[in-house]
Amino acid sequence: MMKAPPSSRALARAWFDIGTQSVGGGTSTLFMIRRVVVERMGWISLREFTESWALSQLSPGIHLVALAGLLGRQIAGVRGIAVAVTAMMLPAALITAVVTAFFGEIAQHPLTIAALAGIGPVAGGMTIGLALTMARPVLQRGRYAILDLAVIVAAFALLLTSTAQTIVVIVIAGAFGAILLGRERPTSSDAPMS
Amino acid sequence: MLEQLGLLLVFVKSSALAVGGLASLPLLRADLVPQYVTDAGIVQALAIGRLAPGPNGLYIVSLGYIVAGWTGALYALIGATLAPLAILPATSLARRWLLSGWFGGLVRGVSLGTAGLLLATGATIVHAGGTQLWQLALVAVTVIATVQGRLHPAVMIVVGAAVGLALGR
Repeated sequence: MMKAPPSSRALARAWFDIGTQSVGGGTSTLFMIRRVVVERMGWISLREFTESWALSQLSPGIHLVALAGLLGRQIAGVRGIAVAVTAMMLPAALITAVVTAFFGEIAQHPLTIAALAGIGPVAGGMTIGLALTMARPVLQRGRYAILDLAVIVAAFALLLTSTAQTIVVIVIAGAFGAILLGRERPTSSDAPMS
Repeated sequence: MLEQLGLLLVFVKSSALAVGGLASLPLLRADLVPQYVTDAGIVQALAIGRLAPGPNGLYIVSLGYIVAGWTGALYALIGATLAPLAILPATSLARRWLLSGWFGGLVRGVSLGTAGLLLATGATIVHAGGTQLWQLALVAVTVIATVQGRLHPAVMIVVGAAVGLALGR
């Protein structure tokens, strides 16, 4: 027997909570989604959740939006997609824009400029750290690791030393991957939630 | 009008060609710096993206606001929301393709290429933000903390701001 899908109001409430209560994004948002839709509301089984998570990793752009869409569809079809994505993204985006507007007002203050002198290195360090995190699984791939490393190094060098278009680098890396890196596919055991 | 459309396309393209939230950054930087925004603006958007709620890919909305006010924020939100939803028809129509070896390879190739591009972008942001000794030390600590993944990103931003207030004047 299929359970009756939850009301739009209940769905919106749950995804609003997810969007607005998970500061910092990434894993904290992922944990929040699991806690709400799997544990608290019981709309999705853990197995379905893990499968959707694995599929969302193949999407372009923000994976959490793809995950919200996939889970929303399983919970309540097209209505579920619309409510989940809108309720997760719109309030969070609104807060982000309002904070940016407020920040614009104080951006020229000497104290803000001093704070930014410390925030800049942190933002740069986070970007570098994230790149290393994306590349880390490569180190576990034995003799094929050299191919993976070559893609990273080539992309890095091309962007820093030439006028190569970013988009060209991405397309070449994708084509290279489709031809040479397709032996293994990502598995759900990579999920950062075990 | 044409410029508005161009801006919308920049945001849609950056999300459509990136795998992962922050992966859109190298593409956006290539299209927006220096005509529309400086590297300082990028740092500001990244910091706000980490401090505000929701997926950290939402830094793009902050960047959109810095570039073109509320219109820019809206365009960024549209791009960030529409691109990932391409996975929905894809899972219905071509599930077998998605699970094929070559598609997995394509995603891996794009992810690895993006990792290289992000490394270069991170280095550029560090360079643009200043390279005093205390700033480089802050970079090193943040890289380690991010890779370890135990410290909350918002805490790192607050610590950076505090260190900047103490040493950056």
